[in-house]
Amino acid sequence: MSDGPSPRVVGESRSVNGAFGLLAWVVGLAYFFPVFWMVLNSFKSELDANASPKLFFHPTLDRYRDVTKSTTGLLSFGEAFTNSAVVVLVSTLIVLTLAIPAAYALAIRPVAKWRDVLFFFISTKFLPVVASVLPIWILAKNLNLLNTRMALIILYTGINLPLAVWMLRSFFREIPRELIEAAEIDGAGLKGQLTSIILPMAAPGIAATALLCVIFAWNEFFYAVQLNPVQGSTVPIWVTTNISTRGDFLAKLSAASVLACIPVVLAGWIAQKRMIRGLAMGAIK
Amino acid sequence: MNTTLGTRIAPRPLGLSESWRRRLPLLPALVFTILLTQVPFVMSIWYSLTDWKVVPPTPRQFVGLGNYGKLVSDHFFRQAAWTSIELTVVPVLGSILLGTAFALLLDRKFFGQGLVRTLLITPFLLMPVVVGLIWKNQMFHGLYGVINWVIEKLGGTPVEFISRYPTWAIAATLIWQWTPFMMLIILAGLQSQPGDVLEAAKVDGATPFGIFRQLTLGHLRPYMELGILLGTVYLIQVYDQVAVMTGGGPGSTNLPYFVFERSIGGGWDFGRASSYSIVVVIASIIIATVALRVLSGLLKGEEIA
Amino acid sequence: MTSVRYDNATRTYEGTSVPAVDALDLDIGDGELLVLVGPSGSGKSTALRMLAGLEPLDGGSIRIGDRDVSNVRPRDRDIAMVFQNYALYPQLTVADNMGFALKQAGVPKEERRTRVREAARVLDLEPYLDRKPKHLSGGQRQRVAMGRAIVRRPAVYLMDEPLSNLDAKLRVQTRTEVVELQARLGVTTVYVTHDQVEAMTMGHRVAVLKDGVLQQCDTPRKLYHEPLNLFVAGFIGSPAMNLVPVGDERPLRLGGSAIELARPGDAALAEISGAITVGFRPEALQVGEGPLRAKIRTVEDLGSEVFVHLSLEHRGQPLALVSKMMPPFDGEPGDSIGLQIIGATHLFADDGSRVVSTTATLQAASAPAGVASDASPAAP
Repeated sequence: MSDGPSPRVVGESRSVNGAFGLLAWVVGLAYFFPVFWMVLNSFKSELDANASPKLFFHPTLDRYRDVTKSTTGLLSFGEAFTNSAVVVLVSTLIVLTLAIPAAYALAIRPVAKWRDVLFFFISTKFLPVVASVLPIWILAKNLNLLNTRMALIILYTGINLPLAVWMLRSFFREIPRELIEAAEIDGAGLKGQLTSIILPMAAPGIAATALLCVIFAWNEFFYAVQLNPVQGSTVPIWVTTNISTRGDFLAKLSAASVLACIPVVLAGWIAQKRMIRGLAMGAIK
Repeated sequence: MNTTLGTRIAPRPLGLSESWRRRLPLLPALVFTILLTQVPFVMSIWYSLTDWKVVPPTPRQFVGLGNYGKLVSDHFFRQAAWTSIELTVVPVLGSILLGTAFALLLDRKFFGQGLVRTLLITPFLLMPVVVGLIWKNQMFHGLYGVINWVIEKLGGTPVEFISRYPTWAIAATLIWQWTPFMMLIILAGLQSQPGDVLEAAKVDGATPFGIFRQLTLGHLRPYMELGILLGTVYLIQVYDQVAVMTGGGPGSTNLPYFVFERSIGGGWDFGRASSYSIVVVIASIIIATVALRVLSGLLKGEEIA
Repeated sequence: MTSVRYDNATRTYEGTSVPAVDALDLDIGDGELLVLVGPSGSGKSTALRMLAGLEPLDGGSIRIGDRDVSNVRPRDRDIAMVFQNYALYPQLTVADNMGFALKQAGVPKEERRTRVREAARVLDLEPYLDRKPKHLSGGQRQRVAMGRAIVRRPAVYLMDEPLSNLDAKLRVQTRTEVVELQARLGVTTVYVTHDQVEAMTMGHRVAVLKDGVLQQCDTPRKLYHEPLNLFVAGFIGSPAMNLVPVGDERPLRLGGSAIELARPGDAALAEISGAITVGFRPEALQVGEGPLRAKIRTVEDLGSEVFVHLSLEHRGQPLALVSKMMPPFDGEPGDSIGLQIIGATHLFADDGSRVVSTTATLQAASAPAGVASDASPAAP
C-alpha cells in the first residue's frame, strides 16, 4: 500500500479539486472543534468556561495548577500518572515478549494450523469484557490482587496480546521469505533470526504495535474502575475525580482531560501512518 | 577446496521434532490467552447456572437454567438489551457512513492534507472517559453547552440533551469517536486500489461517478464489512461513555452497564448478572462468526508454502 | 569428496494430493554442476529446497556425501544457497552480508575478514564492501549473493534461478562467470532454472522435470539429440522441435506426403502399434526445394540464422512448423514453398516415449488433394 494519495485527480479541473480541498478543511476543523474547545477551556477561569462561548479571554494556567495539586486522601495526578505509566509500560513489554515469538510461529515458520490459531487469538477480542469481569473480579479478590497494579498489568497484557500477535504477524509477513531462509541456511537459529534479521527489519511495525498497545492500555477504564477503585488507580479514574457535584468544574475537567490525553494523542499523531497500516492491513494483507 | 578449516558445523540430530520446534514460540502467548480469556468465561457459565447473591450473603445454589428462564420476563433486561442494540447499530452505521465520506474527501491531494487527516483521527485517540465527559459537559450541557448556545443564537430553546435523549446523546458521542476508525480502514482500502485499473477505466471513458460506483465501491466492500464487524464487536461492549455520561440514567443502560449494576456495581447478584453476560457473549459469538467468515475470506488469498 | 544423492525423494504440499516432487532419484557427482530445469510448477525449486532442508521430505531420503541429511536442519547441512532475489540482509553491509554465516558459526573476526576479502577479490567486490545492498546495482547484488555462498566454503552450492533478475546481456555474461567460478572452485553445485538455454549452456548434466517427475537427466548433447520422451523433445531446444501427430495410419504422412524412414526406423515402426508422433528439429526441415508445399507465415531473420514459420494442412487441420535456415533467405509471408526433411527424425509412441531416432525423407505427393489444400488460405 502506498502512503500517498491515489493518483486519481488527473483530468479533473483545478477548481473542483480546490473545492474539495476546502470542504475537507471545513469538515476537519468542525470535527476537531470539541477538542479545540476543550483545550481552550482548560486555559480559562471557571467563570469564562461556563459563560457563553468566547474565543478571547485571559488565559491562565491556574486550572492546571488546580488539577495537579495533591490533596491528602484523594487520588493525585502524580500518583495516577505513575500508576498508569507503570501498568502501561510493563504490560506492553510483556505483550511484546510474548507476541513476537508467537507472531514468528504464525508468520515465518508457521505451525500446522496457523489459521485456526490466529482465529482463536482474534476471536478472544470478540469475547466481551463483561463476560469475564465477574470471575476476574472474584479471582483478583481471592488472590489479593484487587487495588494492585499487578491486576491491571495482567489484564492489559491479556487485552492487547491478541491484537499484537495479529499486527506483528502481518508486519513479519512483509519480510521476504528468502531472507529468513538465507539466514537459516547461514546457520542462524530462532534467536539469531530474530535479532539479526526480523527485529531490525520489522522495527517500525513493532513500534506501531507497541504504540497501539500503549494507547489501549492508557485509555482503559472499565477494568481499572472495577478492580482498582481505591489504590493503584490510573489516569482515567483520576479524570473522573475532577467532576464535582457542587459548583462549576468544566475548566478544571478540561485541564485534567488535556493532561490525560496528551501522551497518547501526541504519540498517535506521530505514528498515524503506521497505525493505519497496522490496524487496517493487519486484516486485509 | 580447503576442508581443513574447523568451521564445518558438526551434524546434529533434531532434538525436538520439527512440528514441536515450530510450536514452541507460540505456546507462552497461547497459554496466557487461554488462561485469561477461557477460564473466566467457563467460570461465568458456571455462575450463571447458580443462584448466588453476595449481598446479603446467601449460599450458592445450583439452579440450572433458572436464571435464563427469568430473563424472558425481566423488563429491565429487555430494556437493557434493546438499548444495547440501539447503542451498537446507530453508532456503527453512523460512523461507517461518515467515515466513508471523510475517507473520500481525504483521498485526493490538497493543501494541508496530512494536517486535516491528523485533525480527523484525533477523536479516536482520546480517552473514552474524556470523550464522554467533554461531550456531556461542554457540548450537550443544558446551560453552557456549545450546542445549546448555537441553538439559542438561532432562536431556538435550549434542550437538556442528556436527560431528554440520553441514548441518542451517547450514540452521537460514539459516532464522533468511532468515525476516525472507520475512516482509517476505508482510507487504507481506497489507497490499495490499483491505479492501473482506474487509469484503464478513465481511458475507457468512465465518468468519475461511474468509476466510483462500479469499481471503487466494489473494491471497498470488504473493507466496509471489516469496519462494520470490528466496530460492532467493540461497540457492543461500550461501558465508559454510558458510565460517565448518564450513569445508566433514563433508558440508557446497555447490557454491559446492566451486568455491572447488578453485580459489583451494587446488585451483588452474581448468578443472574452472569446469565446476562452470557447472553452478551452469545450475541457476540453470532456476530463474531459472521466476522470470522468475512475475515477468513480475506485471508484465503494468502498462502504460506 | 561430496556427492549428492536423491533417493526416492518425495514432497507433497499440504492441501494437495499430487506430489510437488515425486520419487526423485538423482545422483550428482563430486564437483559436478547439475542443472534442474523445467517449466513452472515442475518441482525443480522444490527439489532444490528439499536438498537445502527448507522443505521436509515426505518420503525417501537425501544424502550429501556419506551422510543422510533428510532430517538435518538447513544450517547443519554444510550447504550455501544463492536465491533468486539474492536475499541480501538489507541492514547489513556487503562485508557483513558475506560474513554472516561465518559469524553465526563463531569464526574469529580476523579470519572472517580475510575470507570475506578473498571472496570479494574473486568477485570484484572489494570497493563495495562497506556499502549497503540498496546502494548496489542488480549485477553487484547478484555477485554479493554469490560471494556470501563462496565465503562459507560449503560442500554443496545451491542456486535457485540466480540470474533471472538480471537483464538479458548481463545474464549471458554472468552465466559464463558462474560456470568459470564453479569450475575453479570444483564444488558440487545444483542449479535451478526455467530457462533451457541457461540449462544447456551451463550444466555438465541437465535434469528435466515435469509435474514433479524426473523426465531425463543427461548431458546437454544427449538431451538434445536423444530426448527420452515427447516432453523433453519439446522442452529442450529453441525454437522447439517440430512435433507432428501422425495417427496410426501407415505409411506415416506429413500433409499429403508420405514419410519414408531410413533403415533402422522402418523396422522399428513395424513393431509399434497405436498413434505415433514424428519429431524433427527446425534445422532438420529444409525449405525451398521439396516434395511438400507449405505457406510461409512469418520469417525471423536474426542475421546469423533465419527461422521460417510455416503452415500447411495436415490431417484436415492447419499445422505450424518451423525451419531453421542459413541466410540469405528470400521468402515472404504468404509465399508457397517446398519442404524436405534432411536430418534426424524421432518417432514417439502413444505414451510419449521415444521409440527410435532415424533419418527420413518426404516422398512426392501422391494425393492431389493435399496439393489442392495448400492453395486454401492458412487458417490462423
